Amino acid sequence: MVGAQGKYPRSVVMLSTHSSPGGGSDVFLREMAPHLSRVMGVKIVVDNLAGGSGAKAMAVLAKSKPDGGLFYATTPTFIYTSLLSRPAATYRDLEPIVNIFYDPEVLYTATNSNFKTLDQVLQHARTGKGRWGAANPASLERQVMEQLRQKTKVAPVIATFEGGGDMLISVLNHTLDMGIGELQEIRAQLDAGRVRILGVAGDARISQYPDVKTLKEQGIDLAVRKFRGIAGPKATPPAVIAAWEAAVPRLLADPAYQKIYLKNGLLPGFIGHAEYQKFMGDFGRQTEAFLKQSGVIR
Amino acid sequence: MLILESLWSTWIVPAAFGGVAWGILGGALPGISPSITMALLLPLTYGMDPTVAIVMLASTYVGAEYGGSIPAILIRTPGTNAAAATVVDGYAMKQQGRAGEALGISLYSGFVGGLFGLAMLVLLAEPLSNVALAFTPQAYFALGVLGLSVIASLSRESLIKGLIAGVLGLMISTIGTDPVTGTSRFTFDSPDLLSGIPPILVMVGLFAIGEMLAQTGEPSLQDVPERPRIRFPGPAMWRRIALPQLIGSVIGTMEGVMPGGGGAVSSFLAYNEARRWSRHKEEFGKGSPEGIAAPEAANNTVACTALVPMLSLGIPSSNSAAVLLGGFLLHGLLPGPMLFVQNPDVVDGLFLGLFVANIAMVIVGYLIMGPCIWLVSRPKPYLMAFIYALVVSGVFAIEASEFHVAVALAFGVLGYVMRSAGVPLLPMVLGVVLGFLVESNYRRALVLSGGDHMIFIQDRLAAVLLSLALIFIVGSLYRHAIETRPKPRA
Repeated sequence: MVGAQGKYPRSVVMLSTHSSPGGGSDVFLREMAPHLSRVMGVKIVVDNLAGGSGAKAMAVLAKSKPDGGLFYATTPTFIYTSLLSRPAATYRDLEPIVNIFYDPEVLYTATNSNFKTLDQVLQHARTGKGRWGAANPASLERQVMEQLRQKTKVAPVIATFEGGGDMLISVLNHTLDMGIGELQEIRAQLDAGRVRILGVAGDARISQYPDVKTLKEQGIDLAVRKFRGIAGPKATPPAVIAAWEAAVPRLLADPAYQKIYLKNGLLPGFIGHAEYQKFMGDFGRQTEAFLKQSGVIR
Repeated sequence: MLILESLWSTWIVPAAFGGVAWGILGGALPGISPSITMALLLPLTYGMDPTVAIVMLASTYVGAEYGGSIPAILIRTPGTNAAAATVVDGYAMKQQGRAGEALGISLYSGFVGGLFGLAMLVLLAEPLSNVALAFTPQAYFALGVLGLSVIASLSRESLIKGLIAGVLGLMISTIGTDPVTGTSRFTFDSPDLLSGIPPILVMVGLFAIGEMLAQTGEPSLQDVPERPRIRFPGPAMWRRIALPQLIGSVIGTMEGVMPGGGGAVSSFLAYNEARRWSRHKEEFGKGSPEGIAAPEAANNTVACTALVPMLSLGIPSSNSAAVLLGGFLLHGLLPGPMLFVQNPDVVDGLFLGLFVANIAMVIVGYLIMGPCIWLVSRPKPYLMAFIYALVVSGVFAIEASEFHVAVALAFGVLGYVMRSAGVPLLPMVLGVVLGFLVESNYRRALVLSGGDHMIFIQDRLAAVLLSLALIFIVGSLYRHAIETRPKPRA
């Protein structure tokens, strides 16, 4: 059941991801699949098209039939891969359908470090000895740190790592003053009281941590939206898009699923088709500008 | 006993046996790494009880670490990264018609290492997790250098050729995304190269395909008489391999708890140390049981101790631990400091399951050994065609990528050339496995210190590890100089 347009054209819908089984996006999709199946009245199957950091999934999607049977679960990775290399198909060859969630990016430090607030970290960075960390060199997290450095006019060093876990250790052992990551990555340490969130690099506070201010509230005009949504092949029929636009708000309002995604630190972030196209275009342009400015691409 | 009751009333035992059998199979297939074996299983565990699912995945890891030694011994192809060190003496024993004995030693040592690692995990998870936290980027760099220092003693035939191979390996590891700036290096705009060349492809190419090319060029050997039976070591052998097993287990424990290791470094270090402390140094490289016992004890220890940072910090120390972490998350469990408080039943079940898995490894390993040995004693044309099909389909299966197959074949040709030129293969493997760890942490440390190299000495752990590496290298060079000195005429 999909609303006014009638029955969804397919009984099985494949959601492909560039993440291999057990990876972040894979776990997210597999948790979402049964709830989405229920809401949309179709069977949702998660398919791993790992390889080439999303290049393979994009190529398969771009060539697939726009019949509503195959979609790609988007994250900023597919934009970065499109810009960093020359894959057979890029994010521009896909049709952004709808957005579902945002992963809030948070700045954090070790609870037993000398820094209790973001302001203290920034003060320390003014002395020229600041050390900040970002999970990967070409990533949204690095972009946030570089922008923070520019906007606050301090000059810390920014070290990059091979993933959030690596960096978390360097924050816990005080090699770094602070790091940036998704809430999900630090949740275990957060629950145990070993790390403290210094600020949210998003538009709004996180409901589970209502006391933690956003960067904007702390006087720094900086917010990013790490998106999780759905893209399909070009020329996806309007009826299929409408079905997704109808289903996602209901999925987000579903009490059983709400409990799970809120626990995982995801923010509901529905964006309809028309706006999502614009969103993706803007995101791509901003990322490209950042990568050029920091000398990563020419 | 409540614990024993839960053992029989749940699916833990069948899950452990099933996981181990699947793991041995995946580990034994060249090209399929333990993490991929686990990842293939993961979607099937979705509907299971969380504890049973976790036990099954962890058992797969245990089985795969042993399974990797089977092709290492029988066809000179490590099935996993961590089994690369087993190739040297394992295959030498096989050529002497002692494959059954070699497999028995590997199985027994894996069992000993696994139990040792499990004991460490159960008893010392908390203090060991602090070891992980002591590792700064400079310490990781030093650890990588320590691993690379083994090259000096792995290339006893010719130091120059060993260094050439090692540097080639390091060069290959620079392909992909630059660890500091994020620029693409040597990727030629191909997305396939963005994340670098996976070490497993290098190994499959160098060892398996290179070996096949070499063997097809040789006339059929007179068949070595081979009893297609596994032989477990007797009391005399127990005593002989006890020390290498202890060395392997201790080194494996250390590496398992450090994020980023993953088993390969400890296997090589254990092999190297076992030789240093052995009373039969001359046998190493020519079929020494100790040369199998040390690395195999080490990599099975890692399969348990890698769970220390994963369970207690929520930080996976290897690709396999990352898949296991995914398994926890899929079942709504969050590994980390609170797991032991919030879900003690899952933790207890996992420990119990790992214990069963180690026993299952011996039973399943024993049962499949006969068929495996029989299989590799078939006439050479059959065997070569079979291995070729196995390897190519294994490599292709990982990501259904023709590119991966091409990379493996290219390294096969390179392996053939290196063999013909007498260049050792293991230094190159070490270079590929450790290059990124060394480079990224070196540069990261210098970013943090503002370019000051003193940071490597000021960090105590880094200073100790670097000094050890220096001692290893100087010691090896000294031995090398003595051994190659022209003997005075009598």
